[in-house]
Amino acid sequence: MTAGAYTQGRERQRLSVRLTQIDWTFCLAITMIALAGAAMLYSVAGGKWEPWAAKHLGGYAFWFVVMLALAMVDLQVWFAVAYPVYVISLALLAYAAVKGHATMGAQRWISIGPIHDFQPSELMKIGLVLALARFYHGLSARNAKLSFWLIVPAILIGLPAALVMKEPDLGTALLICATGGAIMVLAGLDLRIVAGIGALGVAAAPFLHLVLKPYQWTRLASFMNPGAERSGAGYHTWQSQIALGSGGLIGKGFGLGTQSQLNFLPEKQTDFMFASLAEEFGFVGCVAILLLYAAVIFMALRIASVAHSHFARLGAAGVTATLAFCVLMNGAMVMGLAPVVGVPMPLLSLGGTVMMSMMIGFGLVMAARVQRYAEISSGKGAVL
Amino acid sequence: MSPKIYFNEVNERQGVFHRRAFLMGGVVGAGLVTLGGRLAFLQLVDADKYRTLSLDNEFQSRLEPPPRGLILDRNGVILASNRPDFRLYVSRDENTNVEELLEKLQRLVPLDDAHRARLLQDVNDAPRRAPVTVMEDLTWEEFSRINVRAPELVGVTADMGDIRVYPYAAAFAHVIGYVAKVSREDVTKDGPNSDPILLNPGFRIGKAGLEKSYDLVMRGKPGAKKVEVDVKGRVVREDPGGDIPPVPGETLKLTLDADIQNRALEVFGADSGAAVMMDCRTGNILCMFSAPSFDANRFVKGLTGPEYRALADYDHKPLLNKTVNATYPPGSTFKTMVALTALEMGIPASTTFTCNKVWFWGGRAWHCDQAHGTLDMKGGIAQSCDIYFYQLALKIGGPDPIARTATTMGLGKLYDIGPGKPWPAQRPGLIPTVEWVRRARPSDPVWHPGETPSVGIGQGAVNVNPLQLCIMCARIANGRKALYPRLVDTIGGVPQAAAGPAPDLPFNPAHIEFLHEAMRAVVASGTAAGGAADLKLGPITMAGKTGTAQSHSYHGGIGAHGARGAWDERDHAWFIAFAPADDPRYAMSVLTEHGGFGADASAPKAREIMRVALLKDPEVRARIVQPLPPPEPVSAPSTGGAAATPAPPRSGSAT
Repeated sequence: MTAGAYTQGRERQRLSVRLTQIDWTFCLAITMIALAGAAMLYSVAGGKWEPWAAKHLGGYAFWFVVMLALAMVDLQVWFAVAYPVYVISLALLAYAAVKGHATMGAQRWISIGPIHDFQPSELMKIGLVLALARFYHGLSARNAKLSFWLIVPAILIGLPAALVMKEPDLGTALLICATGGAIMVLAGLDLRIVAGIGALGVAAAPFLHLVLKPYQWTRLASFMNPGAERSGAGYHTWQSQIALGSGGLIGKGFGLGTQSQLNFLPEKQTDFMFASLAEEFGFVGCVAILLLYAAVIFMALRIASVAHSHFARLGAAGVTATLAFCVLMNGAMVMGLAPVVGVPMPLLSLGGTVMMSMMIGFGLVMAARVQRYAEISSGKGAVL
Repeated sequence: MSPKIYFNEVNERQGVFHRRAFLMGGVVGAGLVTLGGRLAFLQLVDADKYRTLSLDNEFQSRLEPPPRGLILDRNGVILASNRPDFRLYVSRDENTNVEELLEKLQRLVPLDDAHRARLLQDVNDAPRRAPVTVMEDLTWEEFSRINVRAPELVGVTADMGDIRVYPYAAAFAHVIGYVAKVSREDVTKDGPNSDPILLNPGFRIGKAGLEKSYDLVMRGKPGAKKVEVDVKGRVVREDPGGDIPPVPGETLKLTLDADIQNRALEVFGADSGAAVMMDCRTGNILCMFSAPSFDANRFVKGLTGPEYRALADYDHKPLLNKTVNATYPPGSTFKTMVALTALEMGIPASTTFTCNKVWFWGGRAWHCDQAHGTLDMKGGIAQSCDIYFYQLALKIGGPDPIARTATTMGLGKLYDIGPGKPWPAQRPGLIPTVEWVRRARPSDPVWHPGETPSVGIGQGAVNVNPLQLCIMCARIANGRKALYPRLVDTIGGVPQAAAGPAPDLPFNPAHIEFLHEAMRAVVASGTAAGGAADLKLGPITMAGKTGTAQSHSYHGGIGAHGARGAWDERDHAWFIAFAPADDPRYAMSVLTEHGGFGADASAPKAREIMRVALLKDPEVRARIVQPLPPPEPVSAPSTGGAAATPAPPRSGSAT
């Protein structure tokens, strides 16, 4: 039942054949990360499944099944829903900006019907990847390098980024820009443009405080000088570094992390989950988790590289970029290399909507793997 | 919208993607390696630094107040100790609803609304997480009731600590003083009172008497309890292995005797005054009592406003330590000094003067309370004849020779409790001299001869405190040494010296012996005859001198003693005494403020207090018991009054 390049096209579309095409090594890697997260949530709750660990595991199990199901969905369908998903996400973001309820001064959450505390910005992560992949699917290499057409992806990225920034959620806004930028680069954007934007960014840095909210500015300032304000704005970073450093080579042991158990570490179950892990499992545990992330990222990139359709390639690579930026940003933040921005560690941190966007993204990666030989016809034969 | 895409372009797009995906892999890989490097730096290179910081977060040292040093009497009877005390603290953090919390507490422990309102203020004023004492002295039931409900009473701590207790609160209230809560003024920037232990809500600081003067000695060194805390400072776990035990304060053993002191409390009853007794061989103070007294234990817990006002406003001044902090004219007790001066100047004891109740000199009439006839010096002392001493003083010629004798005998001077520890707020009194008049009376800087007779009877500007008069009496009784008082026997077992060395007295022993004889005559046939100073202890008798000192200018004509009328217009009654009269061991002074005649108001008090001291002295006791025939020794000591038994009950002291 192995499906290879010689397998007949119709045969490949059979569900039983598709199931065998799922990358189970990839599944194993992400499951290990999720289990590590559940174990840490169990630990920081004082050795209890409630209130976090059970929720995390249950959520993962649910979304894992969803991911497998999405992997079975025809790429043609993914392709067809790409713009609608983007538009819906954008609409929800706009709705959140007007009607969403605030936590800690940021409007990020909306409740629609039975779904509570839903972050539209998370759905946008998927919507943006899909929309960009679909757009570039129909763009020639030359136009993708440098042309008038690039105004479209710029708008596709800029609109949600502006809305998320308005919430204000600096971390997610950055993530959206970075992911979108990554897809543009992967699609063939002229590298001189990339260098130019980088130079512009450096030049604009002194004027950052004009666009940032005061609390974001304090965070940034405290990052520049973490020792100065160990009880104020720099407190999070400082306590996180203590947690990390005191873990040493092999850590304090499962359930014995004093920084997290005694609540010195803030946001220990979400943004600073990695610091809790570092405290209890030390350098060895941290490197193991980072290696798992590296494995997931490289497997996903490989899946993207072998896909036949440009849509699947960019889609899978876009999801990978989201994952990679999340890991790098959170890691840098926890280790005091970057200012505190609310980006969680994917699969490790608690967070329902983050789990959802990540697993849907993995569904797309897996669909790209399962249907790596499929071609997508734009326009003709589309479902929608 | 899509532009046309040709086959070669499809391949080109794929090629670009592969190269860029490879680039992205490299960038992400570099990022992950950077993270790994940072981790290695934090967790391997700097691990020790962060481990220390983490331990600093996790563990705190909680100061533990040391047990305060005990105070014992000369026989080891406990005068001040510590007892366990169940207390209740409330500390607030950001989320505490203090009002609601106090409401909950009110259902568990007795807490009236006024108290609750004050606590609400206190807790809200206190810094966050600083415990504020809500209640002390909870019963065991209340204590356990709180502890059982601890989980729902966040911010409430019930714990056990030591609190000072004075078993003889009233008898020793002035001399030992008391401890009380630390006030803001007690805490200093540096020095011993900058110790953070002072901020502990259970800590008490010496506020008066020996508790104040020897506060640092008895304080001890605070210990530390190692506790694991969470980010809000709440104790999660205790770590007994890391505890530093507190060092208890030193024990103060005094020369005082609880039985004698308690007897003094009893005999004073509602009277105002003071009694001081010294061992006239060593200078040890056996009794130092000021009346009326108060319950020192009330101060430990903190007085309420009305309680304090009642004490402060009472005209008998219970809060004043009358033994050292108030002075009174010594009256006729001062005649001993005048007589001794005369003898030392060569004026013989046989010198006679005649008393006709009134004596005219210097253009005015000088009065005596009766016509004593012609008296020699011994008769003058025994009958306490004022007219005799007016004239003797004039014969001496001025105040200076008398003042020299008086200050040599210990009057007009300040005394220390022990070396380098002066009595707080002690008043030196005054023995007037020509020089003093020149300095203190610039409007009339000359000593007028008319002022000399008043000095002869211990009036005029002469002022002493009861401790000084006791020292004077002890020096007369001793005769050879200028004794200094000694109140603290040992500190932590180390013997303490008296407040000063005891130099030899420069007086002729024959003259001292004359004074002894005259003072014996006071009790035998003089002003204190007729039982007031009769010890009823067989061969053991007392020698003494009465004093009835004018407390202000009389309204009702010169010469009328004020033994009646409004309390605060009556004379001060003095009695100084030593016993046994033939072999002095104990010397004392008793003052009954506005008590009238010295023989009536103070001599019986001196007698009763002296009996206790004598009966507790085994050598004196042997003299009382042995010479008597078999059936009588039982009845002899018991006829004297309530003080027949050598040890009065120790329980009836806290009034």
